[in-house]
Amino acid sequence: MIDLIREISQTMRSNKLRTVLTGIAVAWGIFMLIVLMGLSNGVVNTFNENTRSQGSNVLKVWGGITSHAWDGYKQGRTIELQSTDLEPIKHNNEHQVASVTAAIRSSAVTISTPHDYMTGSYEGIFPDEARQRALEVPWGRFINDRDMAEKRKVMVISEQVAVSLFKNPAAATGQSIKVGDLVFQVIGVYQSKWSRSVYIPYTTARILQGGGVNVNEINVELQNVKTQEDGTDAETKTRESLASLHDFRADDESAVNIWNRFNQQLSMQQGMNILTIAVWIIGLLTLLSGIIGVNNIMFVSVRERTHEIGIRRAIGAKPRNILTQIILESVSITTVFGYVGIAMGSLVTGILTKIAENVEFINNPTVDLSVALSVTIVLIIAGMAAGLFPALKAIKIKPVEALRDE
Amino acid sequence: MITLHDINKTYPGIVPLHVLRDVNLHIDKGELVSIMGASGSGKSTLLNILGILDNYDSGEYWLDGVLIKNLSENRSAELRNKMIGFVFQSFNLINYKDALENVALPLFYQGVSRRKRRKLAMEQLDKLGLADRAHHLPGELSGGQKQRVALARALITNPSIILADEPTGALDSKTSREVMQIFRELNAEQNMTIIIVTHDPAVGEQTNRIIRILDGQIALR
Repeated sequence: MIDLIREISQTMRSNKLRTVLTGIAVAWGIFMLIVLMGLSNGVVNTFNENTRSQGSNVLKVWGGITSHAWDGYKQGRTIELQSTDLEPIKHNNEHQVASVTAAIRSSAVTISTPHDYMTGSYEGIFPDEARQRALEVPWGRFINDRDMAEKRKVMVISEQVAVSLFKNPAAATGQSIKVGDLVFQVIGVYQSKWSRSVYIPYTTARILQGGGVNVNEINVELQNVKTQEDGTDAETKTRESLASLHDFRADDESAVNIWNRFNQQLSMQQGMNILTIAVWIIGLLTLLSGIIGVNNIMFVSVRERTHEIGIRRAIGAKPRNILTQIILESVSITTVFGYVGIAMGSLVTGILTKIAENVEFINNPTVDLSVALSVTIVLIIAGMAAGLFPALKAIKIKPVEALRDE
Repeated sequence: MITLHDINKTYPGIVPLHVLRDVNLHIDKGELVSIMGASGSGKSTLLNILGILDNYDSGEYWLDGVLIKNLSENRSAELRNKMIGFVFQSFNLINYKDALENVALPLFYQGVSRRKRRKLAMEQLDKLGLADRAHHLPGELSGGQKQRVALARALITNPSIILADEPTGALDSKTSREVMQIFRELNAEQNMTIIIVTHDPAVGEQTNRIIRILDGQIALR
């Protein structure tokens, strides 16, 4: 094997210019593939991170206005969600519903420390919200069940709010913040790409709103859902539960607004898959022109070396020796220059990563090892394909060629 | 060493060409013979058959006790490699390989390790007085040196016969004599069976037997 590689590198070196020119076509193809793939990975990474940071298997439900008359009520009736809706939603679909939580959003309030203040609103939420919204809490902790049970005046604020009020998120925990006239204690600071809200326990918010049952939003966390159908099914069941609680037609889509994040995420996932496939196709087609170049050059090379191949055959080379040599030559050209392309492509995506650090929609546009591996397999197959026909031509060369004068 | 029995060969075509007609030939071990004939006499075809480069239609060709007939490409390549040492008119060295690598090439196809074949090739070059040219490319060698490298390549597998096709055709008369001298020495000292195909009477004269071929038949004279 080492002998064969030596043999091949010798023939490749004996025709440097041609080998290099052919190789550049392959390197270019791979380069394009890698750069395109890097960019599409960037988009996919961004998407994945967004999905992670928003929580993907949640139905978000808001009240709406009925569009059909039903059960003696006129159409155009406002439906307001209530805390009493939570239990039936779970109860009617135990299999698919992991948990149901509600959120109460305040109107604008003044949030202040002795030194500084800002205007904002708070959300009264359940402890499960941290998981549903994929919130990371690196400083302190999130609201827990005891906070809920004891209706504590505690709050969890975002890193951004912590920085603007306390300069430093680590310093925020344990501090006191006034919301309107009430003093809350900061128990944790969270990180999230999307959320800037100030969170307090749902039960505490309930009191602040002066009791009542109305909630602004219900979050249904799903489980055991895999397909779009599952997602639609869960959405329908949730709507049906609410329809019987609030007396509206079960197929009245405007009575409650449901944002089916699970289905949305699935279809976006499909979009991402299509993007990846499209990039592979474009990249492979670019590579194909390189492969055709190699194929042509191998034909030329075989033709040029007819006499040499004849000599080799005369002194004892078997057809398969010739076949392997030509194919391996072709594979060597594609892989060696393919790796040049990978190196260049990685360099460029590396530079793009630096440039795109602050670009929202391209996140970490790099190509990982598994791609490099699949590209290697592609290169080897490409080389074999490019070398096959020239090699088959080469083995037809008769050893008598050796006797023919050039 | 070589026995040809009623060998016939026809090249098919619109007008089929019957180039060899019932050729019978016997060459003993240790003979130095030349095959002479005009162009178109069937000389080259005979050479191709003797060198297992081409098939024949009927008859039998025995080489060193092996019947050479209807062989597969692989088998004939193997037999060429082991039993026949070729020397060509235009040397047929591979121009991007140095003398040593050219000489070692037949052993590459036998699967001999690189170290061993380089050692054997070096010995062979040394015997032919070319040790100091081992790392020169063919382009850097004179005609006589090239032919000696080719001879070393022919000898390295320790073949049953040396088959030389116009070995002096591309050489001047002085170098021709030197090369012929080597053939004679090989024949005399190592009892090597050597067959030289030529149209040069001066070359023929230096062999021990001349086989003349005329219109596809061995001339009786």
